[in-house]
Amino acid sequence: MVASLLAMSAPLAAHHGDAAYADKPMEMKGCVVTEFDWMNPHSLIKFDYKTASGELQHWTMEIGSPPSMALLGWSRTTLRAGDVITAYVYQSKSGVLVGRTNKVILADGTVLADRDDSTPSRYGTEPPK
Amino acid sequence: MRNAVAGAVIAVCAAVMVSAQSKSPWVYYPLDTIQGDGGPAPKRDLSGTWAGPGSTDAIPRGANAERPSLTPLGQQIMSQRKPIGRYGPAGTNDPTARYCDPLGFPLDFIYQNRAMSVATMPNRVVFLHQFGGFWREVWTDGRPLPTKVGGDDRDSLDPTYMGYSVGHWEDDYNFVIDTTGLDERTWLLRDGTPHSVMAHVQERWTRVDHNTMKVAMTIDDPKMFTKPFSLGTYYYRWVPNQKINEWLCVPSETLKYLQEQGDPAGSYPDAQQQRLGGGRGR
Repeated sequence: MVASLLAMSAPLAAHHGDAAYADKPMEMKGCVVTEFDWMNPHSLIKFDYKTASGELQHWTMEIGSPPSMALLGWSRTTLRAGDVITAYVYQSKSGVLVGRTNKVILADGTVLADRDDSTPSRYGTEPPK
Repeated sequence: MRNAVAGAVIAVCAAVMVSAQSKSPWVYYPLDTIQGDGGPAPKRDLSGTWAGPGSTDAIPRGANAERPSLTPLGQQIMSQRKPIGRYGPAGTNDPTARYCDPLGFPLDFIYQNRAMSVATMPNRVVFLHQFGGFWREVWTDGRPLPTKVGGDDRDSLDPTYMGYSVGHWEDDYNFVIDTTGLDERTWLLRDGTPHSVMAHVQERWTRVDHNTMKVAMTIDDPKMFTKPFSLGTYYYRWVPNQKINEWLCVPSETLKYLQEQGDPAGSYPDAQQQRLGGGRGR
């Protein structure tokens, strides 16, 4: 079953040229959302993150388009300014503070994934029978 | 492996969350796919609202487009195209990705075949496409296709993003559409494959049963290709509540996306090439 799920995720890899981003996600805890743009072609999550050395960083990370992300449980009201989240992000190879989302964990523990190896499909697990 | 299993759990939870919500007649539910064949196909009728293969994985897979054999002119134009799949948003010159230019026909039906409605009018069949909010008129009054489009003659018609289309019922269940006059600024395929204004695209729409239809598409364009080839076969399934959602390319949002995310992330075409050759990436 897992093999079939991985196979289903493969065609998504090339969409929008994700080569701009690192191969492994980094974890950032205690991120404070400053803006959530539910928009096409891809939605943006902006947040502040304080590093271990105390530096305050301003990040932007993308997720998919609203209709696609709605299938994974996201909505226009998922995030609001001031929400505290844990962000898992593939940072841009350019070194700037933008990235592609792996997943976010909301303050109540809800896990919302973007698409990657851990997301079998944007549309659920197996096709509905 | 552990990530894949964890992801499966996440996705299942998400699907349950969506399905557990009370249904609204104003909402499109891609996961709420139709069951069964719904009985025999109505005769000479494609009318209704349909979910395409870009909508959910539940739609049956057809066949992808064949790889074309390009003429020297086709190769020359192709060499100037920088598709988003390799160059990313920052480096692509795909006019849709950079400027929200319409994908046009047939790419809108090949690449963004998510959902659509079909309406039958007295002298035409109209396709109302979800992505981009485009519509196509397919005339069924017997008129011939135009022979002069985009030329210098006074009687030459303007090229259009959706082209000029005529259709006829070959029998009770097969509707054949011929299209030409396509604006050359549009890309035929997502990889940048070009087409000429007088390309001839033929679609064969088959109403398989009440809940299923499919389309097989071919193109003949001697200016760009050495021989005709298939643009693929795509299935559509009846949408239970007959509602689809708005899905537009909004220029101001695209500009914001490019300025704040896509362009700063940069373009790494060589990395993408290595990835495509060495594995499937993340």
